[in-house]
This record gives sequence, structure tokens and C-alpha cells, in this order.
Amino acid sequence: MIYLNNIDKYYDSKFQRTFVLKAIKLEVKEGEFVSIMGPSGSGKSTLLNIIGLLDAPSAGEYSLYDKSVLDLKEKAKVDYHRNFMGFIFQAYHLIEEMTVYENIETPLIYKGVKSKDRQAMVADLLDRFNMVAKKDLFPQQLSGGQQQLVGIARAIIGKPKLLLADEPTGNLHSLQGEMIMETLKTLNDEGMTIIQVTHNEKFAEYGKRIIRLEDGIIRKDIAGNTKFASIVK
Amino acid sequence: MIKHFLTNILRNVRHNKVFTFINLTNLVVGFAVFILFSVVVNYELDYDKFNTNYDQIYRVQTRQEDSYPTNFCTYSPAAFRYHLMADVPEVEQVLLMREVSGGAKGSGQFFTLPDGSQLYELNGYWSENSIFDIFTITLKEGNKSNALTEPGTIAISETLSKKLFPEGNALGKQVTVGKRFPVTVSAVYADFPQNSNLKATYLVSMATYPVLSGEQAYGENWTNISFDNYILLKKGADPKLVDAKIKDVFKNVKNFEKSSPYLHPLSKLHISPNSQPDVIVGLGIISLAAILVLVLASVNYVNLSLANSTQRSKEIGIKKVIGSSKKLIASQFLSETILHTLAATILALFVAQASFPLLNRILNRNIDFSIWGNGQLLIFILLVSLLVGVLSGLYPALVISAYNPVKVLKGKIFSNGGNSFSIKKVLVAAQFSISLFMLIVSFILFNHVNFILNKDLGFDNKNILYTEINPRDKMKFETVKTRMLQHPEIAGISFSSTIPFIGNIGGYVTWQGAAPDEKEMISRNYVNYDFIPTYNLKMAYGRNFSKEYPADNKGCIINETALKVFGWSDPIGKQIYLEGKPFSVVGVVKDFHPFSVHNPIPTYIMFLNNNVISGSTLLSVRFTGDEQKARSLITGELVTIFPNDPFEFKDFSVAFYLDDAIPFWQSMKRMFMFFAVVTLVISTIGLFGLILFTVKRRTKEIGVRKVLGSSVGSIYWQLSTEVIGMLGFAILVGCPGAAYIYKTMPGAYKEPLTASVFIIGIVLIAIIAQLTISFHVLKVAVSNPVEALRYE
Repeated sequence: MIYLNNIDKYYDSKFQRTFVLKAIKLEVKEGEFVSIMGPSGSGKSTLLNIIGLLDAPSAGEYSLYDKSVLDLKEKAKVDYHRNFMGFIFQAYHLIEEMTVYENIETPLIYKGVKSKDRQAMVADLLDRFNMVAKKDLFPQQLSGGQQQLVGIARAIIGKPKLLLADEPTGNLHSLQGEMIMETLKTLNDEGMTIIQVTHNEKFAEYGKRIIRLEDGIIRKDIAGNTKFASIVK
Repeated sequence: MIKHFLTNILRNVRHNKVFTFINLTNLVVGFAVFILFSVVVNYELDYDKFNTNYDQIYRVQTRQEDSYPTNFCTYSPAAFRYHLMADVPEVEQVLLMREVSGGAKGSGQFFTLPDGSQLYELNGYWSENSIFDIFTITLKEGNKSNALTEPGTIAISETLSKKLFPEGNALGKQVTVGKRFPVTVSAVYADFPQNSNLKATYLVSMATYPVLSGEQAYGENWTNISFDNYILLKKGADPKLVDAKIKDVFKNVKNFEKSSPYLHPLSKLHISPNSQPDVIVGLGIISLAAILVLVLASVNYVNLSLANSTQRSKEIGIKKVIGSSKKLIASQFLSETILHTLAATILALFVAQASFPLLNRILNRNIDFSIWGNGQLLIFILLVSLLVGVLSGLYPALVISAYNPVKVLKGKIFSNGGNSFSIKKVLVAAQFSISLFMLIVSFILFNHVNFILNKDLGFDNKNILYTEINPRDKMKFETVKTRMLQHPEIAGISFSSTIPFIGNIGGYVTWQGAAPDEKEMISRNYVNYDFIPTYNLKMAYGRNFSKEYPADNKGCIINETALKVFGWSDPIGKQIYLEGKPFSVVGVVKDFHPFSVHNPIPTYIMFLNNNVISGSTLLSVRFTGDEQKARSLITGELVTIFPNDPFEFKDFSVAFYLDDAIPFWQSMKRMFMFFAVVTLVISTIGLFGLILFTVKRRTKEIGVRKVLGSSVGSIYWQLSTEVIGMLGFAILVGCPGAAYIYKTMPGAYKEPLTASVFIIGIVLIAIIAQLTISFHVLKVAVSNPVEALRYE
């Protein structure tokens, strides 16, 4: 599904070239749940942004379903954002001027879904996340965990194949974090491909595969349910 | 999607109340000014359009190549009517009119009211009956076909009819004009509209003219250029063709060889009566100022939008990530701007309508105008509003929609702001230059108006009542004087052909010692023995006219200006020559202002009259004590002396304030004040936006500085330095501009320019700028630096 080959990302300053990512080679199959880990500045978010078509690599190949997605036109990119992938952020990034309902509905409006269908779809999702009573509240009126749930709902309302989560639990305390991770796990069990960036070793374990980045280079790529503790030592 | 847009926009309004308020105020001010002055321009250009024959009506005017200051005269001789226009095949109707003479009071006449008192009405005309065929006039009483055909008939306006015949039914009744001429009311017409160039309050039939004036052959006269000739051209006729046909008509008229008639269309009678572009230039300046204000407001809108977009960048980033295209975001912002401008326009329409009295005061006009009733204007303003909306929304929309979502979501958008910032600075500096300029000019004008109102006129203008009187029978002045001086309230009385500010008789003189070709244009006055003491004029040399010197009827008194012109060191006994006759100088009067204080003091010569009141004369009475009492006293005396002649005493100081120039200067002063305030408001908003932008851009920096222990004062100082540069620029541009206006300001006497007007203007602007900065700094100062420094 996702195929990255020799991806470089660097910035040129006067005297030197600073690499954020170097020779990244990564393949993600449909239905995978990948956790990307690494210290601050290791390039996790940049990698996620490149996968999410928010940032362009400086060199390398990137294709989705064997189709190169480098040098895509603006319109095609928007299309991928509307139909193929959803995003979750550490700071939730809900639109403050919109209610819970409207926040979840907005991607459908961009997709051009009819008003009636939109209502049904949003109602379904609100129901699933037990947020029907909160639909007319504004984001500031919700707890962090609830805000992130809205964030997830907004990300998946368009039924994307790929869910990209940039430290989805970073601003949450552990109980709420676990709730969010459980939700992601359920989504993955239903077949959605998920790539998350996280600092949290425990939450990384939810992934079926853990990738460790250091200084822009993939140091480890461990598949399966390998115990984290054994990797470290 | 539209609903989504709308809720979005409304929520943003709610979310950014301060921003919305400032931005709307900015646009409302801009639009209200624009609307007001569009109305003025529209009103001026719409003059006379109510006439159904608008395109076919022309006034035949006279071009005089040898006259000064303008070659174009709106009047023409009566012979045009009978011997020229009536013979041109393109002409369908001719109309001869003439203002009724009123001497010093303007073209008017006295009417006897039902209670026997006299009413002076201006704007009276002699007119032919064809006026009803050419102009669109509604008759309330009478018949258009014969209202002004017979001698001894008068058509009066509805307003005048109500004054003369309060009980109504004026038709067929008699009115007495000038206490002696009875005329019959043959029609009552609806008052001419405000925007009519011709605003006659009454029309006396032209057939009455030869009877009352005694000029039987007026229709044969080619040299008395004091009539109004109007014509109605046939539909589709070419006025240029008519011009060509009539242009040589003066060829054989002695002394008028260089004159020629020309057709002046009704559409130009108001904006350019004597073919000079002054009104058009004035309208152009007003339009330019109004457009400028609107442009400044739009620029502010752009700056404020961009400044505010930092706050909204997150929203934009998210929208992009969840699938909104650039186009959608751009159109969202554009529609938001258009909605803002439309809302501002609608508000501005109300504001404009409500500020009409203010506008009338500023312009010294009496425009009665309903914006809502003028569909064309509304459509025009709506179109301008859309244009402004699109133009000022486009740039921010493009900039904002191009934000990179990754950077925006990490709060990095303005961290490295480039030099594009300086354009904004230049714009704000330009705004400040304009408002400083306007402020200083309005201060200069303010001083100037005070100066001319308080200038020493060289004579005592207090406690004087004057009247014009035109008695049927001659009257010895001494009789009048004796009767008046019985009353202790009357300090003095004199009569003369002109008095200061009222009337002027010109003429050329030569003088003893002048070069052979040398002559001097003078202003002359025929006075009696009492003129100089009544006005408290001071003698520089010699003496006043006196009965002890019978030869004084061959004498004259000159003013100091004349003395300088003639170059005499010992003036008494020297000769001047007027129309070939010699007069010897008996005295020199100290210079005083015979004309309004804007004009230089002329070469002025007084001659002695024969102390007998005959013909049109000005009586001046100096009184002591209460004016009302004195007025009723002298009016009572004069009525018994001249029972058959109408008159009305006026207060001299009123005449002084009514002098044309004073309302003009006051109007100019108010106009500049108005624009100064408007531009000041707009540039303050501009500065506000600029500082807001800076503060937003540097929130992080300021936060870091605060954490490091920087005081609020140093932050304040930092922002101030940005503004000081702009103020410097404004001073460099605004002050010389204002000084230039002072230099070119017309008027012979001006108060010297003082530094205070500049200092006050600069200080005012500086205070406003500092207040604006203080507002922002205070906001930053009370904010918690942690907020600014948080990762998200």
C-alpha cells in the first residue's frame, strides 16, 4: 500500500546540508498498525507528514498503491486528503469556532456528501463514540480525551484507508490515552491501516510493528508482538 | 456549502469581536464619506434634470474677448431675442428674461404685505410667457397659455403667495411692488426645486418692462448686456451649427466688435455658468478625496485581515489537512470580505443619511436628499462596495490560502517575516502624512477665519444701521438729518452712493505728475459731509469736506493707498482728473477696507455729492444704546419722510458676516476639519492594524524577553521606534504641503504663519499614535508569557 524508497529530507544552509531523514526505506501493507518511535528531532513527524502528503521529500520515491505520489498537483493531493487518509494531532486541532457536530461534519462537506447522508453518517459516529449528548458543545467545553475522540471521529468520518496519528496521546493523561489507543486498535481490527508517531513505549505496543528512528535513519523495524523490554537491552 | 460558509463567517465575527468592530468601523467610515460625497457630486451633476426639455434648453451667452477676469458673460442684450434667435430655424422657442434690479440688496423688490408692511423678496425676474413652455413649471393657479402675456401681470411662487395672501386664492388679486406699482397675480407656480439653476420667486411679465423702466426700445439695444436669453432648440438640432450662424452678429456694433454670442447648454449652467471649470475642478477634488478615503480604508482592511489571519492560520491549516482545497479557503475568505464590505456599506448608508445635516453645514449648502429614493445611486454604491470587497479580499485570500499547513499547525507562520512588511509601513506613513497635512491646513484656515473676522477694518463697523432707498421725489438731506438727530439715540447719519462692503463704482483717473499714458483704476464714492464722521474714518492729512469751503464740490478726498500710487509728498491741493474734469485734494483718509478683507485696499477717492437725496442711495445711521429701539425709531422717522418709498434697515455687522468670502472660508475650514478627522480615524485604524500585526508576529519574542526580565517599558520603546520613523516621514511630507497651501491661499491679507499650527498638529498625531501603541503594549504586558511560549 505505502512504498517509500530512499527518501531523503534535508535543509540546505550556507555551509552545510542538514538531513532530517536519510535513505528511508519503508513499506506498509494494508491493515497494518505501525508505531514510529524515536527521540525528539529524529524525524518522526517529518516522516509522517511526508506520508500524509503535507510535506515533500527532497529525494527518493514514494508511491501509494504502486502509483507515485511525488509532484502531485494540488487538486490530486486534496483528493487524497478527502478520500484516502485521515489525520489525528497531539493538540487535537479542532476548529474552535465550530461545534462537535460541525467539526465532524466538515470533511464530508469538502467531499461533497449530500446533507441527508452527512446527518446519518455523523449521527452514526457520534453514537459509536457515545458523544450524542455533546454534539452541540464547542471544543473548549470538552475534556482532552473527548476532544481527541472528536478528532478521531473527524479523521475517520470520510472512511479513509489510512489513519495518520501524530502523538495522539501526547496531551492526555494515561487513562484517557488508553481509551484513545483502544479506539485506534478497534479501528485497526476493522481493517484500517494506522501509522502513529509516539513517545510512549506502552502505547507503541499497540502497534503490530514498531519502527525506531534516530537522526533520520531507521534503526530498528520490528514486526509482530515482540516485547518492548527485550528490544532495549 | 453556502450555509457552512455563512455559519463560519458569523462564528468568526463572534470570535473576533474587537477585530470585527475595528474593521467594520474602518469600512463604515470609508464608505460613509464616499457615499456622502457621491451624493454631493451626483446632486451637482443632476441640476436641472427635472426639466423635460433638459437636452434642448440653452442660454445664449456673450463671449467678450476683451474683458477681464473672464471672457464669458452669462448675460446678453435683449436684441438677441428680437433680432437674432427668433430668426434661426433650429430654434423652436425664445425666452427673454431679466433679473429685477435691486441695487445693493441683490435682484429683488419690495412687496406690500396685507398688514401694510414691506417684504423684500430676492430672485425676481422679468419674463416672457414662453418660460412655461421651455422650463418644466407646475402651475397651482392660473393658465400656462397666457399667464405672462399681458402688461401688469405677475406670476408668484407658492411660498410668496402664502406670504402675500395667507387666505389663499391669489389669482386675479393685486399686489403692490415697490410701494407704487400695482400688478395683478396671473398665476401661482410650485416653487422651483432646490436643484434648479433658475429659482425665481416671482415673474413679472416682460410686457410690463417698458412701461415701468421707461425703456421703450429695449428690444433694439445691442449693448446693454444684462438680459437672459434662453432658447429651446428643435429636437435633434445641432447647437454648434446655431453657434456658427450667430457668431458674427456683433461685427458692426461699436465697441463690441470682439464680442460674440454662444449657446450654453442647461446641463452646464450650474456647474460652469460662465464657461469656467471652477465647479468641475471642485467636484473633481471632492471625488478624489472621497475615493482616496475609500482606498485608505480598503488598505486598512487588507492590513487588518492579514494581521488577524495569524490568529486564524490554525483553522486554515486544519481545513487543508482534512480536505479543503486552496480554492475553497480562498473563496471562504473572499466571501467573508465581501460580506463585511456589504454589511459596512449598508451601515454606511444609514450613517450617511444621518450625517446629511452635518454635510450641509460643512458645505454651507441646503441639500435635501434621500439616499433611499435614488435607485441609480444605490446601485452604483452597491457596485463600488462589491468592487472594494473583491479587491481588498483578493490579496489576503490568496496569501492566507497559500499557508503551508505543516508550518501553520506548528505555529511557525510569521516567525521569519520578511521585508514585505515595509510596504505596510509606507502605507501607514502615507496615511499619517495625509492626516497631518489636513490637520495643519484646517488649523491654518481656522486661524485665518478668526483673523479676517477680527481684523481692524479701519472704520467703526459697530452700531451702524443702513438702508438703501430710491425715493420717487428728491429730498434735502438736511431735512432728514434734523429729524433724526432730534433723538439722543442717533449719533450721526450720512448718505453716500456706496458704503464699505456694499457697492462699488469704478473709474479711471489721471493725476498731477502722472506720465502721459498713465491712468489708475479707482473705487469712487459720492458722499455727503457726514460720511467720514459717521464711519469714524481717520484723516491722515488735510480735512473732511466742509460747508465752509464752497469749492469742495470740486474737491476730493483720497486714501493713503492713492497717495502712494500718485507719489505725492504734499497731497493737499494737488489735482486729479476724472472723466477729464479736475478735482483738487482736500484731505487724505487713513486706509480702511472698502471691500472684504481678502481684497487689497483699492485706490479710493471720495467726491462730495450735492446733499440732496435722489435716485438710489445708501443711508447710514450711527446709533447708541439698544439696536431694536434705534431701528424702530429711525424706521418710524423715515416712513414719515418717505411715505411712498419702501426700505428696510439692516445691521452693518450682519452685512460684514454675510460677505461672500466669509462663508466660503468657513466652509473650507469645516471641509478640511472634516477630512482631517476622517483621515485621522482611518490612519489610526491603519496604525492599529500595523501594531497588531507586529505584536502578533513578535508575541513569542516579547514572551521570551519578558521571561528574561525585560520590562514593559522597553517593549513599549521598541514598538515606539517603529512609529517614530513613520511620524518623521509624515512631518517631512505634511508640513511643507500645508505651508504650500498657506502660500497659495488667496487673499491680500493673511496672518503670518506660526509654528504653533505645525506643533499642535504633530503633537496631536503623536499622541494618537502613542495611545494606539499603549493599547497593544498594555495587552501584551498583562498577558502571561507562558501563553506565548507554549508549544501549541
